[in-house]
Amino acid sequence: MRRWRGRSARWVGAAVIGLVIVTGLVAAAQEPFYKGKTVRIVVGFTAGGGFDTYSRTIARHMTRHIPGNPTIIVENMPGAGSRISANYLYKIAKPDGLTIGHFIGGVLLGQVLGQQGIEFDARKFEYIGAPVNEHPVCALTKASGITSVEKWMAAGTPVKMGGVSPGSSNPDNVTRAIKASLGLPIQIVTGYKGTAEIRLAAEGGEVAGACWGWGSLQATWRKGLDAGEVQVVLQVAPKPHRELPNVPLAINFAKTEEARRLLEAAIHNDSVLVRTYTLPPGTPKDRVQILRKAFQETLRDPALLAEAEKAKLEIDPVAGEEIERTVAGLFKLDPAMIAKLRTILLE
Amino acid sequence: MLVGIAIGFVVGILPGLGGPTTLALMLPFIFKMTPVEAFAFLLGMAAVTNTTGDITSILFGIPGEPTTASTIVDGHPMAKNGEAGRALGAAIMSSLFGAVFGAFVLALTIPVVRPLVLTFGSPEFFMLALLGITFVAALSGQALLKGLVAGGLGLWFATIGLDPVSGIQRYTFGQLFLWDGIGLVPVTIGFFAIPEVIDLAVQGSSIAKLDVGRLGGVWQGVRDTFHHWLLVLRCSAIGTFIAIIPGMGAATTQWLAYAHAVQSSPDKERFGRGAVEGVLGPGAANNSTLGGSLVTTVAFGVPASVTMAILMGAFLIQGLVPGPGMLMPAPKGHLAVTFSMVWTIVVSNIITVAMCFLFLRQLVKITQIRGALLIPFILMLIAVGAFAEKNVFADVLVVLVFGALGWVMARLGWPRPAFLLGLVLGPLAENKLFLSTDNYGLGWLVRPGVLVLLAVIVVGLLAPFVSARRRARSPAAAAVEREARRQRELRGFRLDGTTAFSLLIVILFAWALWQSRSFGVRAGLFPWAVGIPGLALAIAQLARDLTGRRAAPAPETAGESTPDVPPGVAARRSVEICAWIAGFWVAIWLLGFSLATLLMTLLYLKVAARERWPLSILLCVSGSAFVYGLFEKALGVPFPSGQLFVWLGMEAGL
Repeated sequence: MRRWRGRSARWVGAAVIGLVIVTGLVAAAQEPFYKGKTVRIVVGFTAGGGFDTYSRTIARHMTRHIPGNPTIIVENMPGAGSRISANYLYKIAKPDGLTIGHFIGGVLLGQVLGQQGIEFDARKFEYIGAPVNEHPVCALTKASGITSVEKWMAAGTPVKMGGVSPGSSNPDNVTRAIKASLGLPIQIVTGYKGTAEIRLAAEGGEVAGACWGWGSLQATWRKGLDAGEVQVVLQVAPKPHRELPNVPLAINFAKTEEARRLLEAAIHNDSVLVRTYTLPPGTPKDRVQILRKAFQETLRDPALLAEAEKAKLEIDPVAGEEIERTVAGLFKLDPAMIAKLRTILLE
Repeated sequence: MLVGIAIGFVVGILPGLGGPTTLALMLPFIFKMTPVEAFAFLLGMAAVTNTTGDITSILFGIPGEPTTASTIVDGHPMAKNGEAGRALGAAIMSSLFGAVFGAFVLALTIPVVRPLVLTFGSPEFFMLALLGITFVAALSGQALLKGLVAGGLGLWFATIGLDPVSGIQRYTFGQLFLWDGIGLVPVTIGFFAIPEVIDLAVQGSSIAKLDVGRLGGVWQGVRDTFHHWLLVLRCSAIGTFIAIIPGMGAATTQWLAYAHAVQSSPDKERFGRGAVEGVLGPGAANNSTLGGSLVTTVAFGVPASVTMAILMGAFLIQGLVPGPGMLMPAPKGHLAVTFSMVWTIVVSNIITVAMCFLFLRQLVKITQIRGALLIPFILMLIAVGAFAEKNVFADVLVVLVFGALGWVMARLGWPRPAFLLGLVLGPLAENKLFLSTDNYGLGWLVRPGVLVLLAVIVVGLLAPFVSARRRARSPAAAAVEREARRQRELRGFRLDGTTAFSLLIVILFAWALWQSRSFGVRAGLFPWAVGIPGLALAIAQLARDLTGRRAAPAPETAGESTPDVPPGVAARRSVEICAWIAGFWVAIWLLGFSLATLLMTLLYLKVAARERWPLSILLCVSGSAFVYGLFEKALGVPFPSGQLFVWLGMEAGL
């Protein structure tokens, strides 16, 4: 009896140990991948700019929405209109779901157009989403005398508009596209470091204005807009922004079908991509899904929305799937349109 | 604010860990603060990095911040002469003076500065950049030609990378790390720190070669500040007003102030050998810059520097819109916040100065420590500092290349400041030249502002000749001149290291021009505008060297002669230390930063310095713990894993 009890006790003991091991294994398998990990967001522009500000704001809140609550840090890798960081994400960053890139969406179209300095294939990236669908508008100073599209059309000499570098989603692409499709008299003065410098140049009279996202423009040029020294005369989007019901849409001035298609291909599509968050090619699908879900949840998080409101960051989320579709669409543009865009946007 | 100051204090002392990086790291903390608290925190931090950066520059000859490099030129020789205390006292007191001046200018000038800055267009800004380089080049006195060539070379190095407008690769050899250009931090560190380490090893002594009876002389330095109060005031004004121009940060203003200190002195020969005015000028200017650049940020909402760009982010987070509204009283504006910034700058500088004075005596003692004990730690700081700015390992190599270049330039009497200023101003000059031509064609050349600035440049270039001629008229000087002429005539045709270096520069410019033929107008404009005059001037310099018509070496070499070490020993020690530096770098590459520090410090102390075991082990362990604890753990600097471990499959490579 005692012997049997001893044997059974041993069996029970073994069973318990086995159970513990199995449970442990199961628990380990269920332990979220991101627990105790550090996620890096590599921003293609300097600290303090719009791309940086969005990233730091999102980084602070996104950790709560990823199972395992990883630490999220932001690193800046500026240069060449963020092409350096895009190439880094494609060629060097490990595809383990721990490195997220944030560079300007215009470089994706840049690949299709054969822009210099691009060493990635946009079709192979994994896209998480974008916090905002850009809504480009053109703002000009009152001093320039251009207070409406009609006056702009009628201007005798080319109106000087500020730019950053050819191929940049905005201001450059937007300005070049409306010049080509609407026939507006424009001399684009490119090479400014950013929209802040263009604002200064416009206030000093060196240029008349520039075209870039309404979200950023209304936050940074608030005083000029309120005082009436700066006016938004055109918006380059499929629909009017709710805050700008009376400003005309560029597409309505396009006289030919080709001009309409050009605006859509160069600007309307691109607006979805401008502030895209991206993962390296080959990142495991389950991690892509985790980050996509977390990203969308973060952008609905009341704490983030309150902070964005304070920092005047517009939130109008775009899903990763939509970005994927838009990028695929870029590669389906017909060769004639690509050739046309290349001449208009890059030369 | 106190927390901000404490952080800024450490950041300033440690080279490479720049103010902007830290500000960006600290930004998340301000969300829960009120605007006044937030700016006290951030500005407190920004305000002190320049002061404490001066300390590193003076004591080790390593720039604590890129904005404190010019303090090295005279501050470090003072430390070598046993006057570290006096130099530190002068730097800290003039910093306070400059900061307070800048802050009050911020308070007073915002209402009038707006129309003034708006009258300046891109062409005028381009001319201002040129003006800066020629001023510093003209410092080289008789070696004016060398100064201009060095400035041109700096401007050319600034074009390396992707061209900012069309994105074409220029001189990158397809290397990804060169796409973003050559960083200011590794160049500055390499330029000044590596030659100092070599010098320290060759001398085989402590940093302070002369032992002064009493430590310090701190009060002497403070008295110097008041003695030269007019100079300090003028340099503060330079710092503040130049900084109002977007793109002109403290990295530029310090050199302009230094140039001014030299130019305004009747006794120019002392500079570079430890003239206290050479410390006072930059000390005041780099601190007064903060007030100046805040003017642009607050009044226009245009960030004048990286630090300001981050502060702009802080403005937006706090729901404030920079611009005229910042100057109106509540409820319409936020004048109170603006004034709180002024007070923050003033108060945090006063606190910093008090803290500095508390620790100063201990700091000065560092210069009396045996050089052999310091060398591994200085090398470690150099390597970490070079890496930590952009987290790119290639920057550690850039330090070596520019260390070698800086050493050669110092030996041969080529002015390093002109080169550095060219590198700093290059992007701004290129940008403004491009905008000017894109906007106005060639019409910008005849704008009245451009013509006025051109006249100032010409006068600035000719002034040293005129004053030299005037001095030459005195009988004593005439005798010296006759002797010098005789010496020169004796030399005749020469082929040696000096000529070879000039030839190298000629070849470099020629190659750069040849490469740039395919760049197109957008990317090629600036390389052509720099390369053609650069090549012409370099050829003129080569001709001078070949015919032996050599000017006396520039002042900065004078302090580095090694009279007390026999030439044979000096040569042997030079080779040895170069081998050690190379070994240190290879070790970092193979083993990673922390482990390499551990191993190489131990090896150096045991083999080269022949220190006792207990001391060697204590020092190498604490050095390694410092790198690992502070940089890797506390600050989260992502050091790459050692290549050896990657090969062994233990760690993943980058």
